[in-house]
Amino acid sequence: MAIAATTINILGIVFLSHAVYSAYEHSLLPSSSLPTPPSSILPHIIDPKINLPLDITLETLFSVFLLCVGVVLSSPELKPIQWNVWAGRLERSKEARVVKEVGVGGGNPYAVLEERPGFLDIRGRRKEFAGWVREGER
Amino acid sequence: MLDERELATRPIVQESVQHNARTVSNIRALTASLFGVAAGTLGLESFPGFIFYAVGTAVVSVLIFAFKAESNPKAYFWRPLQDLWAGDMFGGLMSFVLTWTLLYNLAKA
Repeated sequence: MAIAATTINILGIVFLSHAVYSAYEHSLLPSSSLPTPPSSILPHIIDPKINLPLDITLETLFSVFLLCVGVVLSSPELKPIQWNVWAGRLERSKEARVVKEVGVGGGNPYAVLEERPGFLDIRGRRKEFAGWVREGER
Repeated sequence: MLDERELATRPIVQESVQHNARTVSNIRALTASLFGVAAGTLGLESFPGFIFYAVGTAVVSVLIFAFKAESNPKAYFWRPLQDLWAGDMFGGLMSFVLTWTLLYNLAKA
């Protein structure tokens, strides 16, 4: 998918540069500054008054459409916002199930609440803290 | 009040909402300047240019709907009408006008 999106983007950029350069070259012709005949169907206020040849107009529109598709395809995937869908996907995905540390990973968003260490070595912690305090006083 | 009940019974993931909003606004900013390039190259002036922008934004919305949201915007946007279709419609307007005027001057004048 990524390769396809990149290909579409590159094609779009090539077509767009070609179209813009063609439009520039056309604007150098002496006939390009002549006023365009008014459109017969559109009212005056929304008449686009394009005085480019039809092929350049079509190439511009086509390349921009191509680039839009490429940009949309190459952007990152959207994530589901409903909690049950999101958590279900998390539980099923391989990399999210790897337990990195206690309470993190395992594919369970509530793991931090469900898995807690049973006992704490409170004496060891106290000794550690006392050592830390003594270090600061010194 | 209704929203609160709805959120309590079916919670949403804030992180995903932010990720989606960011993705959509990135797409919009990029494509808006592309539409400016096209509008300037075609030499559109005043109303036709803005109509071109509106049509282009609608096309991009449809593309996001089809390719990114898998035709099911309810799963990816809290309020699809606001977050996908109508919202952010004018977010890219300034970059559109910027590239529109630039390319108009390059290709026309």
